[in-house]
Amino acid sequence: MSLQLIRPDINLDFVGKRHFFVILSTVINIAAVLMLIFVGLNYGVDFVGGSVVQVQFDKPTTANAIRDSLKPIGLGEITVQDFGASAGHTYLLRFEKVANIGSLGPKLESQLAKNYGADGAKVVRVESVGAKVGGDLRRRGFLAVIFATIFMGVFIAFQFRHTSWSFGAGAVIALVHDVLVVSLALVISQFQFDLTTLAALLTVIGYSVHDTVIVSDRIREDAAKRRREPIATIMNRAINETLSRTILTSGTAIVVLIALLAFGGPILRPSAFTLLVGFITGTYSSIYIAGPVVLFWEGHHRVGSLSSRAA
Amino acid sequence: MEIGLKTGRGPYTLKEGAPAVRGGGAIVLTIVLERGDGIERVLLRCAIADEIAPGDDSAAILARIAPWIEREFEMTREMALKTIRGEGRMLEIVFDASHRGPF
Repeated sequence: MSLQLIRPDINLDFVGKRHFFVILSTVINIAAVLMLIFVGLNYGVDFVGGSVVQVQFDKPTTANAIRDSLKPIGLGEITVQDFGASAGHTYLLRFEKVANIGSLGPKLESQLAKNYGADGAKVVRVESVGAKVGGDLRRRGFLAVIFATIFMGVFIAFQFRHTSWSFGAGAVIALVHDVLVVSLALVISQFQFDLTTLAALLTVIGYSVHDTVIVSDRIREDAAKRRREPIATIMNRAINETLSRTILTSGTAIVVLIALLAFGGPILRPSAFTLLVGFITGTYSSIYIAGPVVLFWEGHHRVGSLSSRAA
Repeated sequence: MEIGLKTGRGPYTLKEGAPAVRGGGAIVLTIVLERGDGIERVLLRCAIADEIAPGDDSAAILARIAPWIEREFEMTREMALKTIRGEGRMLEIVFDASHRGPF
């Protein structure tokens, strides 16, 4: 007996509901742009410069106690993150503006020794990024996302050039949608946006385009077989035919990401969250964004034009 | 005691981060690996079995470990940072009869 989650003859009307979902996505995308402008991402040290210091205490303490003990040396605003009891009283301190980052480790250790004893607190890691380097990394990260999106679109457009250039346009718009939705989720959650999160965002772009290719390829195949059917019917059939694969692939990836989000610890949480939101959005956009763009591009053409090119 | 290392990432220093602990047939050193300009610092532990370094004090052991860390610098630094970032604990390198390292 084979495992069958989706009936082979399933016929859900995805295309018929496209207007609702296009409007919904547009609203979410506009909200994302506004939130990015007026609230902004919570950039990590990688992108704004500063220092990350990991301190291991020999007994439990609190974020406020750590801040209070470091106040006399005037290091400015300190963000303190608890790694949890399982990590053995480890705290992550973030400093955004430190005048002399070179001597931060010994300075912190001697100050903490006054409150926690000589061996009460150990600075086990210091990583610093200058403000100029941070700004440069932010600019490069931004360009990486833009280039990845554009080149993915160009690649899809080239691959589907004999059928229609609209597939490339659909892929780019779907990718822009995914990046904006993930950015909105990051702005709302205020998870730290650092190099790891950027890598996760680029992974989302790769995943999303992969999902879009599967659906687009089936549309191309079906268009060649059923020349007299309207493109909307072909598209709906293609989405239904690939639905089982889409749900199984995305579902297994999402289960892994939920586990990573729940048990991966605070360091992995922002990237796991980015991937989780991105994979869900990428699956959604392959169906409700990339498809409608192709449909809009092709207008009310009979499939004849598309299918004759696909054949 | 502080030992200078010449690495592909510029000068680093190696020093003891805590008093060495002897017991269970090994001596455990807590080592601070710090970049010359101080913008990076990572702690790691080295456990050296008594059978390969009997009676050596921590300074002598550190002097023997330094060239090895200098040679294996990239891997050691990366692993030490990853272990602390990901697992919240210090990397522990064990040198014994099966993995003698610099001993």
